[in-house]
Amino acid sequence: MQLLLTVNGLSHEVEVRPTARLLDVLRDQLGLTGTKEGCAEGECGACTVLVDGKAVNSCVMLAVQARGKEILTVEGLAEHGDLDLLQQKFVEYGAVQCGYCTPGMLMSAKALLMANPVPSEQDIRIALAGNLCRCTGYAAIVAAVKAASGHDATPAMVLPGEADELAVEVATDPATLAIVDEVVEAAVAELTEGTAPAPEAFPSLDAPAGPPGAPAAPPPEPPESAGDAEDGE
Amino acid sequence: MVSDVPVTQVVAPADMDELAAALKAATPQTRLLAGGTDLMRAVRRPGSEPDVIIDLTGLGGLSYVRLDGDTLRVGATTTFTELQSDPLVHEHALCLGLAAAQVGSVQIRNVGTIGGNIANASPCADSATALTALGAGVTTLDGAGTIRTRPLGEVLLGPSETSLAHDEAITEFSFPALGAEHRSAFAKIGSRTAVSVARLSAALVVRFDAAAGSLTDVCVALGAVGGTAFRATRLEQQLQARPADEDTARLFAEGCVAAVQDSIPGRYSLPYKRHAAIGLAYDAWNMLALGAPCEPPWF
Repeated sequence: MQLLLTVNGLSHEVEVRPTARLLDVLRDQLGLTGTKEGCAEGECGACTVLVDGKAVNSCVMLAVQARGKEILTVEGLAEHGDLDLLQQKFVEYGAVQCGYCTPGMLMSAKALLMANPVPSEQDIRIALAGNLCRCTGYAAIVAAVKAASGHDATPAMVLPGEADELAVEVATDPATLAIVDEVVEAAVAELTEGTAPAPEAFPSLDAPAGPPGAPAAPPPEPPESAGDAEDGE
Repeated sequence: MVSDVPVTQVVAPADMDELAAALKAATPQTRLLAGGTDLMRAVRRPGSEPDVIIDLTGLGGLSYVRLDGDTLRVGATTTFTELQSDPLVHEHALCLGLAAAQVGSVQIRNVGTIGGNIANASPCADSATALTALGAGVTTLDGAGTIRTRPLGEVLLGPSETSLAHDEAITEFSFPALGAEHRSAFAKIGSRTAVSVARLSAALVVRFDAAAGSLTDVCVALGAVGGTAFRATRLEQQLQARPADEDTARLFAEGCVAAVQDSIPGRYSLPYKRHAAIGLAYDAWNMLALGAPCEPPWF
């Protein structure tokens, strides 16, 4: 069956088997393997994700049950690879040993902090009671959550609703439009001045056709690295 | 993928008419999914694949708590998280709120529903003990469109056994709303605090005559100590019109022990549960806040 799932702010239209668990769809179909399968019966919490801001065990939930809802997985915490404050505190406090329970711990703690930015230690313990850790113990985890409290815990990622608003804002902002015009003009100028060849797939009808078999124009040299290339190669 | 059962279809009714239509088409192999925390485990056992799962999750109209005159009405798909923080539940059915707050974990309470808890008919179901003490009725809808209400005791027949027909869905629980003169409590014991089935649970509803300092209308329900939750009627009679004092607390604890003993004679867990019942009874009693907390005299 066809299902619309919003995961970490992105809409996905997925074809799922009716009895597929949310956990299976996240891991096997969307490739979000940060969410772990532990006990597979709703006891250990390793598979915890947030559905509409609430922590749930994705191993005992059909994917269908999450239709049309906002799902947040551990991958959604780190925007552009930058760790969320909660994740930073887990690292800082060494609240990890083997790490298998950690995504679930993070998500339960995230749900708590989103609803209650200043929880008591008792609140933290109740929020994490459904997450079992069999190696590092709970003291460091509780301390890490405590250290991450007191801040706005809203996920940093842009949610779809906000993205739409942002798009409208950008599209109607005169300053932004001026920049867009400038960029377009520059691009057009570059093309017409011949510094960049017209794409071969769309030869201009006005341009005189070269003889058949004539060597194509050499590809343009890549521009000098601007120094701030994002891929860092 | 071991989790998938390809033969099963899922239907998700959006309103009561669609639910009635889905129930009409139901077979004995059809299962209702309210939260899924119990069902998802059950249906993954080889050989227990349902033909159809009727998913009630999207059925918004069944999630509510309403005060209707002197009756409190709780929709079947109301989650434990909703129940534990509902102001009407706090005011008029505290024992149910306390029971809801102790079910499983946050993750379970966020999706687990009161209707699912009853329909699953676990002897350890926390809400069953509270609803029994509250004298709840269960309203159902079946495939023929018939809506009827019967006492909870007629629905719960034994472990995983109910009188619900395969084409019958629980839609609502209703019971007399507790007033200012009432006090109620719920306590349970498990192998640990969270995500652990109750080994013993108790719910207590009393009418307290503050001027006279005495108890009237006492309801005591025990759970996880027999096939279903049940009322300890002999104990209830013993407590009638008793002053709310230390002696009555002791009488209550002794009565709970006797009820446990009567319910599971010879069971391997009896020696433990007899003893555990004492502490549990005092926990529940002290939760009523009728006066100074009482300590079990045995320790």
